[in-house]
Amino acid sequence: MSRRPNAKRAAQLRKPVSNTPSWIVPAAVVGGIAVLVVAFLVIRWYTTPLPPKPLAVDATQQVVAQLAGIPATELDSVGAGSANNRFKKISASPLTGPTGKPAVLYYGAEFCPYCAAQRWPLIVALSRFGVFSGLQTTSSSSTDIYPNTPTFTFHGSTYTSQYIDFESVEASDRNQNPLESPTAAQQALISQYDTGGSIPFIDVGNRFESEGAMYLPDILAGMSWQAIATALSDPSTPQAKAILGAANLITAAVCDTTGNMPAAVCSATSIQAIQKQLG
Amino acid sequence: MRLQLLALLAAVAGLAVSIYLTAVHYAGVPLACPTTSTVNCEAVLSSSYAVIAGSPVPTSAAGIAWFALSACIAAAVLLARGATKWTRVQLAWSAIGLVTILYLVFIEIVRLGVICAWCSVAHSLVLLIFLIALPRPGAPPARE
Repeated sequence: MSRRPNAKRAAQLRKPVSNTPSWIVPAAVVGGIAVLVVAFLVIRWYTTPLPPKPLAVDATQQVVAQLAGIPATELDSVGAGSANNRFKKISASPLTGPTGKPAVLYYGAEFCPYCAAQRWPLIVALSRFGVFSGLQTTSSSSTDIYPNTPTFTFHGSTYTSQYIDFESVEASDRNQNPLESPTAAQQALISQYDTGGSIPFIDVGNRFESEGAMYLPDILAGMSWQAIATALSDPSTPQAKAILGAANLITAAVCDTTGNMPAAVCSATSIQAIQKQLG
Repeated sequence: MRLQLLALLAAVAGLAVSIYLTAVHYAGVPLACPTTSTVNCEAVLSSSYAVIAGSPVPTSAAGIAWFALSACIAAAVLLARGATKWTRVQLAWSAIGLVTILYLVFIEIVRLGVICAWCSVAHSLVLLIFLIALPRPGAPPARE
């Protein structure tokens, strides 16, 4: 008598479970994950900084002057900082520019966030050997990794120095439209040394070449050009350690091509130490 | 049991992917991966998130350990021929894997804004193993 109600209750309990299709739980999990991925995309869209408005000419010149005016003592104190030495030594006939001086070749693109990062130390380093004019502010692509990284473009700029020549090629604008093309000689160097096709590619006098940025662009995210320039005045900031460290690496490589001229730059303790590392 | 065989094969495939990514990390050779504005393995695998807590050990090394253990668990379930305590172990282990890949997908989409194709293959395999490990309605309870 007492077994019957129990059996009935058990059947009542089991029935809904056995009727549940086996695919329900996996489908619910997959659906939940799909919702999460959509949420991630929304967060990404919501948190991506808008492209900063390029600075006016006066403000740009002020920032460029700040970069050119970083005290030698501060640069010396940073050394290689947190920069990743990407230079590889190469053995080839010296690369010279239009005026016959040792040449530095830069090949990159305005959309590229790594190029955006690498232009900062390149400008700091080359400003120790000469003067830039006509630099304009821009930012990397809004749709690539490290979107809207603040930077400058070498497109339309000029560089004069009594020690070196600087050749730059910005292959595309920030929307990936074609901008500049390398000469046949520049293309030959790019094909020979940048076999992986990575940008930015830098050739320092055919003594050293580097591919990629010497630090990750994320440390510049959301910062204005002025804020970055200001951060460089404090050697303890992450921006100074990365940008000034990379600038010192580039400076040391350039000094190698100029016969360590000017002495005021190339005889600095940190540059001498880095030159020994470069080999 | 066919599902457990699939879990075993998925674990072996994930192990192969993880070994490949780890080998590429240490060899410093280019990764076979397309590069577009949304897919960029190099960008993901060279980011600060591609190593375990600031160490030089790549995240893919953890993938090797996870998939290797997953393969062992799937083999144990297969050998036990049915629901055992190993099915519960498999569910717990694959849940850990699922939470980890959700974090990694968050990093890819929100922090980096690009997806690593090879990582996505490994993530899909983790999800597959988790789905297989889920208890199915009406299935007998696990034996001790």
